[in-house]
Amino acid sequence: MTTLRPPAAAVMRGPAPMLLVAAAALAWLALIGDAYAVRLATLAGAQALLVLGYQLVFGHVGALSLAQGALFGLGAYVAAMLSLHAPWSLSLTLPAASLAAMLVAALVGAVVLRLQTHYFALATLAVAQLIHLAAVNLEGLTGGANGLPGVPTVSLAGVAIGRGWPMLLLAWGLFAIAGWAVARALAGLRGLALDLAREHPLAAQSIGIDVSALRFTAFVAGAGLAGLAGGLHAHVVGVVSPDVTDMPVMVGCLIATVIGGHRAVFGAALGAILLTHAPEWFRFLENRHLIAFGVLALAMVIVAPDGLAALLAAMRNRLWPSPDQTPPAAMPAPPIATTRPPLLLRVAHVGKAFGGVRALDDVSLTLAPGEAVGVIGPNGSGKTTLINVITGVVPADDGVVHLGSELLRHRPAFAIARLGLARTFQHAELSATTVALDAVATSAFARTPRPQRHAARTEAMGWLTRLGAGAQAGMRCGALPAGRRRLIEVARALMVRPCVLILDEPGAGLSRPERIELARRLREAQEGGVALLVVDHDIDFLAACADRLICLGRGRVVADGPIDTVRRDPLVRRAYFGRDDDAVIQA
Amino acid sequence: MPTVQLLVNALALGAAYALVALGFVLVLNAAGAVNFAHGDMVMLGGVAAVAASTLLAAGGLRLPGIVLVPLVVIVSGLVGLVVAAVGFWPLRDRPPAAMFVATIALAAVFEQSATAFFGPEPRAAPAIWDGPPVIIGGIALGRQPLALILVAGLALAGVYALLERTQIGRSFRAVAQDREMARALGLRATRLIVGAFALAGGLAGLAGALLGHQFFVNAGQGPAYMLKAYIATAIGGWGSVPGALVGALLIALFEMLVSAALSAVWAQALLYLSLLAILLLRPQGLFGEAVGRRA
Repeated sequence: MTTLRPPAAAVMRGPAPMLLVAAAALAWLALIGDAYAVRLATLAGAQALLVLGYQLVFGHVGALSLAQGALFGLGAYVAAMLSLHAPWSLSLTLPAASLAAMLVAALVGAVVLRLQTHYFALATLAVAQLIHLAAVNLEGLTGGANGLPGVPTVSLAGVAIGRGWPMLLLAWGLFAIAGWAVARALAGLRGLALDLAREHPLAAQSIGIDVSALRFTAFVAGAGLAGLAGGLHAHVVGVVSPDVTDMPVMVGCLIATVIGGHRAVFGAALGAILLTHAPEWFRFLENRHLIAFGVLALAMVIVAPDGLAALLAAMRNRLWPSPDQTPPAAMPAPPIATTRPPLLLRVAHVGKAFGGVRALDDVSLTLAPGEAVGVIGPNGSGKTTLINVITGVVPADDGVVHLGSELLRHRPAFAIARLGLARTFQHAELSATTVALDAVATSAFARTPRPQRHAARTEAMGWLTRLGAGAQAGMRCGALPAGRRRLIEVARALMVRPCVLILDEPGAGLSRPERIELARRLREAQEGGVALLVVDHDIDFLAACADRLICLGRGRVVADGPIDTVRRDPLVRRAYFGRDDDAVIQA
Repeated sequence: MPTVQLLVNALALGAAYALVALGFVLVLNAAGAVNFAHGDMVMLGGVAAVAASTLLAAGGLRLPGIVLVPLVVIVSGLVGLVVAAVGFWPLRDRPPAAMFVATIALAAVFEQSATAFFGPEPRAAPAIWDGPPVIIGGIALGRQPLALILVAGLALAGVYALLERTQIGRSFRAVAQDREMARALGLRATRLIVGAFALAGGLAGLAGALLGHQFFVNAGQGPAYMLKAYIATAIGGWGSVPGALVGALLIALFEMLVSAALSAVWAQALLYLSLLAILLLRPQGLFGEAVGRRA
C-alpha cells in the first residue's frame, strides 16, 4: 500500500525551494542591487565553482588537498595571459583555464595521490607554493608583483559577455550546469562507491572498485572547476595579481566548504555566497569581519562538521519528513550459482616478513574449484596475512599465487577482486551511514560496465533475503549489531559473483545459533559453485561449512587434510595449545 | 660572506627552526594530528615581543631583549593552551583531519587578529644581545645570531632533558606511542597532550621572538614557519623528534647556501622541489618513520 504524500511535503522536498530562493535572490539583485552588488554576486558564482570542485576532492574523496587555491590562480593567469596575448581567443579562455588546471592536477595527482593524508596535504601545499612563486617571479610571463591589468571580458561564440548582468548569469549558469553534472554523476552507484572508497578503501577494493582511479578522476575534475572559477574571476575583476595564487584563496575555499557543507552542491553555493559577502554583511566589524568568519568556520567544524547544507536538510526532514523509503519487497533470491567459471586457487611457497617477524614462511596450499576449506591457527599464526597476500592487499616477499591461469603477483587488490576473488574482513568494513541495501548494491558498480542502481538494489535485496537479513535492508549499517553487519558483508561479497570467497573470522562475535545459520548459508553458496576459504577459531563452525582443514602455526602450514584428521593431529594441538593434550580438544 | 659567518648564521637560523619543528612534532605525536596554526604561534611570539618592548619603551623603560624572553614564552604558552582548547579538545575523538581543518581556521583567525590589532607592516623585534659584531679569531660575528644559538640551544637541551630524563617525559612518550594504552596504565593522557600544546606554544613563541629581530615580524608569516616545521618533520621521519631537529638544521643550511649561491627565491623553489622528490622517493623520510599511520 502506498501512502499519499501530503502536497506540501512533495513540493518542499523537490527542487522548488532552491529555485524559489535563487529566483528571490535574482529579483532582489535586479530591484535594489547596484553594479557593485552584481559584481559581488558574480564573484560569488566563481567562488561557488571553486568550492564545488573542492567538494569533489575533499568531501567526496576525502583528500585534504591544499593546492585548490593555487589551481584557481593558475586558471586566472591562463585566462588573463591568453586574452592579453591572443585577443582572438576570447571564446576559448575559460576552457583553456580549466584545461591548464586539469593538466597540472593530472601531473601532480599521478604521483602524490597515493601518499597518506599528512604527506598528501604537505605535497599539495608545496605545489601550491611553487605556483605562487612562479606567479610572483616569472615577471616576463605574469607581470610579477604588479600582475596583469586590462583583462577584457570573455566572449561566447564571438559575442562579448559584458561585465555586470551577462557575466553574472554566465557564472551562475556554469555553476548550475556543473552542479547538475556532479549531482547526476554521483547520484547512483558511483556515489556509493565513492563513499565506501573514502571511508573503507580496502573494502572498496575488495569488491573491485579502483579506488586510485576514482581519487584521480575526482582530483582532476575538481581542478578543472578550480581553473574555470579562476578564469571567470580574471574576466570579472579585469586584473590578475599573484594574490590569486596565495594561501588566503585556499583557506577561504576550505572555510567556505566547511561552512557550506562537504558534499551537497547546494552547500557549495551557500558557502561561496557567505564567503564573498562576509566583508559586506559584517561591515560593522570593520576590518575584523575575517576574524568573525574564521571563528564561524571553527564553530562549524566543532559543532556541525557537515556544514549548513546538512543542517538545512535535517530541518527540512523534520518539517516535511520523507515518505518511508520502503526497500523493495523481499525478492526471490537470485540463483546462487556463480556466473564465473570455477577456478583453482593455488598458493605456492609464499613468504612474508614484517620487519623481523616472519608472518608467512613457505606457505603452499590449493583450493580446488568449488571446494570449501577451513583455516585455523592460533593468533599471530599468519591467517590474516595469508588472506591479505592472496587478495593483493600486501605484497608477498616471495612465492606466487595463481587463480586459474592468472598470476596474481603485482596486481592491485581491485583487479584481483574483479577476477572473481572476493573477501570479507575481520571487522566488518561498512560505511556507517549507508543503508544495508545500498551497501550490498555497491558491489554492482565495478562488476558491470553500465550498472543501474535500480537493478543493483533489486539484486542486493535478493542476496540479503537469501542470507536472512532482508528485514534489515533499510537500516543504516552503523545501527546494526555485529552479527547482522557480518551478514551484510557476506552478501556484498557474494554479489561480486565470485568464484572464490575468502572469509576472515566470519563467526567472531556471532552467537551460536547465528554461527550455525551462517555456516548453512555458506554451504549454500558453496553448492552454487563458489569455493570457500574460511578462517576462524571455532572448529565446529568450520566443520559445518568446510570439508578440509588447514592449520597454520608461526607462519607455516602445520597440517592440511580432512577435518577429523587435522583435529587429531598432534602438531596441530601443539601449535594451538602448546602441548599435546587429548583432553583439551575433546572438551 | 666568509664561510664561518655563513655557517654561524645558518646554525642560528637552524636553531630557531629547530625550536619551531620541535613543538610541531611534539604536538603531532601527542595529538596525532598536524597543527596548522603552529606557524601562527611563532608569529604571535614575535608580536608579543614587539608589543612588550614598544609598551615598555613608551613607559620610558628600555630593557634588553633577553629580559622579555620569559614573558614571551609565557604568553605563547597560553596561546598554545588556546589552540589545545579550541583545535584539539572538542575534536579529540574525531579523525585527525578534523583537527587539521580546525587549526587551518584557527590560523586564519590568528593571522587576521594580528593584522587587525598590529597592522600589516613588518616590524622588528628587539635584539636579544645588542651591539657591534664580536670579533673572534679575526672574524666578525653578529651578536644576535650568537645569542640565538645560545638561547635556542639551552631551550632545546631543556626540553630534551624533560623528555628523556623525567617521569613526565616518559609518560608523554607513552601517550604519544599509544594513547589508550597510556590511559589504561593510569596516565592522565589529556593533561599531557594539553601540556604538549602549551610547551609547543612556548617554543614557537620563543622562536618568533628570536627570529623577529633579523627577519621582522608580520602577521602573514605564520604559514611559512609552519611549512618549515612540516617539511622538517616529513624529511626527518614522521614523528621522530631527533629527525625533526636534524631536518630543521638541514633546511636552514640549505636555505642559507642556496640563497648565497643563487637567490632567496631559488632557495624556496628548490626546497619545495626537494621535498616533493623526498616524498616520492623516500616517503618514510631520510631517517625512517617513527610512528605509523597518522594524519
